[in-house]
Amino acid sequence: MDKYRGFAKAIVRLCATIIILISAPSYGDFSDNLRVSLDGSARLNNNSAANNTSRIYALGIDTHKVFSSTNGDIGYMVGQLYLTKLSNQTPYSFLFNSPDDKQFVVREAHLNYTAGPKWFPNIRVGHFTLPFGLEASIDTNGRLLDYYHGKNLGTKLDWGLGFNKVLSHVEYEFSYTMGGKNEPKTIDSSYVFSGRIGSLNHYDFIIGVSFLDAKIDNIQRKRFAIDWQYYWQTWGFLGEIAIGKDDKFQKKWLEEKYSLLELNKTSISEHLKFYGQYIFTDREGEGTNQQVINIGVSYQIDAELELSLSSRKQLNTPGTGKKQDLTRFQLRYRY
Amino acid sequence: MKIPLILTLLLFSIEYSYADAYCSLRDPVAQIQQLYPQKTNQLSIVKTVDSSTRNLVKLALPSNDLHFSELGRHTLYVAMKNTEALGYVHVRSEQSKWGLVEIIWALDKDLKIQDFTFQRCRSPKKKILDNKDFKNVFIGKSYEELKTLLNSDGITANNILLDKARGAPELASVVLRCALKTLLITDILWGEELKKFNP
Repeated sequence: MDKYRGFAKAIVRLCATIIILISAPSYGDFSDNLRVSLDGSARLNNNSAANNTSRIYALGIDTHKVFSSTNGDIGYMVGQLYLTKLSNQTPYSFLFNSPDDKQFVVREAHLNYTAGPKWFPNIRVGHFTLPFGLEASIDTNGRLLDYYHGKNLGTKLDWGLGFNKVLSHVEYEFSYTMGGKNEPKTIDSSYVFSGRIGSLNHYDFIIGVSFLDAKIDNIQRKRFAIDWQYYWQTWGFLGEIAIGKDDKFQKKWLEEKYSLLELNKTSISEHLKFYGQYIFTDREGEGTNQQVINIGVSYQIDAELELSLSSRKQLNTPGTGKKQDLTRFQLRYRY
Repeated sequence: MKIPLILTLLLFSIEYSYADAYCSLRDPVAQIQQLYPQKTNQLSIVKTVDSSTRNLVKLALPSNDLHFSELGRHTLYVAMKNTEALGYVHVRSEQSKWGLVEIIWALDKDLKIQDFTFQRCRSPKKKILDNKDFKNVFIGKSYEELKTLLNSDGITANNILLDKARGAPELASVVLRCALKTLLITDILWGEELKKFNP
């Protein structure tokens, strides 16, 4: 297996080099077909269960660049780099070293080569969202809205290589990533195989199936999921149901079931969006299941400024600790 | 030290976009293929729709405005057969009572409508596009020719188009307004650059 992973890492490096070399003709005028946004946000979190109030500040750039030659497009690049500062944040992400730490955080950072023959898949290299479930087609970076990839799969983004294509009626993406999460390397033999096949994501009804086989942070995970999105006028009904198992100590597989249902409503002008989520998680070995609701609203005042508010409450009493009770407010400005 | 330096250089060397709504084809490779089956590739040309573009649209089409998601950096695709340009593909969205309607427009090199299809339309009347008579009203027409289909209120389509719309007058007007804005903005922002494909 280690030999195979070494080979996969070499392939990732080779593909990255090829894409960069192929893209070279368009480097002469890098600002052509380049989109850049300055993106700043301030988030206030009130965790009533932990009796804690914290803040998270983020300032970064969000870029999208299409590389072209005289014969057409070669591919595109997405780069998102943020300086993120915590203030009294507990618990804090693995990316940080203390409740008041600040770090440069790479969100999406990848190249997607799209100029192959019609039958040939696009090739993605870099740090990207794992192709699994709802999160694969709905961008939640920098938003309060979340579909909990990180919690369910061990990470939302990872460094590696992926193949993707949109065909007449279906689209697919499969990836091998290294399991280092924010770092482009394997850590303790980490790896992630994941993939999703679904109907086209601009339809009113979208359905997909996903799989994941991974080892991240010394936890082995296997998952299979079905997800859907149904839109009727300004209403949306979304869901994701996953089954799988975890092996945390290299000894015993424990089963896990997870489901998320979401109902959302967007105003006609799309300035306002409301959503409600119900999340059910059942892990073998834990005395009780977990039932949580999220209610959120976002208001896009204009093209630059967005306010959002969300509240997360646990419905049932956990075996240990207090019920989750978290309210968050975010002000986000993009220019 | 490297990262702050790169950030600073980028911040001073770039042209900002106005919004994160990168209104474009969800997958250009596959969707342009449907409109131009003979194409071998596509060429993206990104331009900025800003407040001056918005004012020009308001001036040319009174009572109309651009939705906030329509501002920012937008892509026009040139459908290519090797080094030959076959036509242009431009996606624009128009507000409706069913939310935003996103339409993919195929334009010929003289900026006349060649074909169009919905990328997103949540109206129950969206099968209007299956009606060839309705589509044929648009095909082959330029901005000036299509403008004659607009009533004096600047918002609704006149009876020439509505007669073909068979019970979907609101959606027909949305499609017409979207077509007019697409042709106008394409000419304002991309017109000069596209001349090299139509010498």
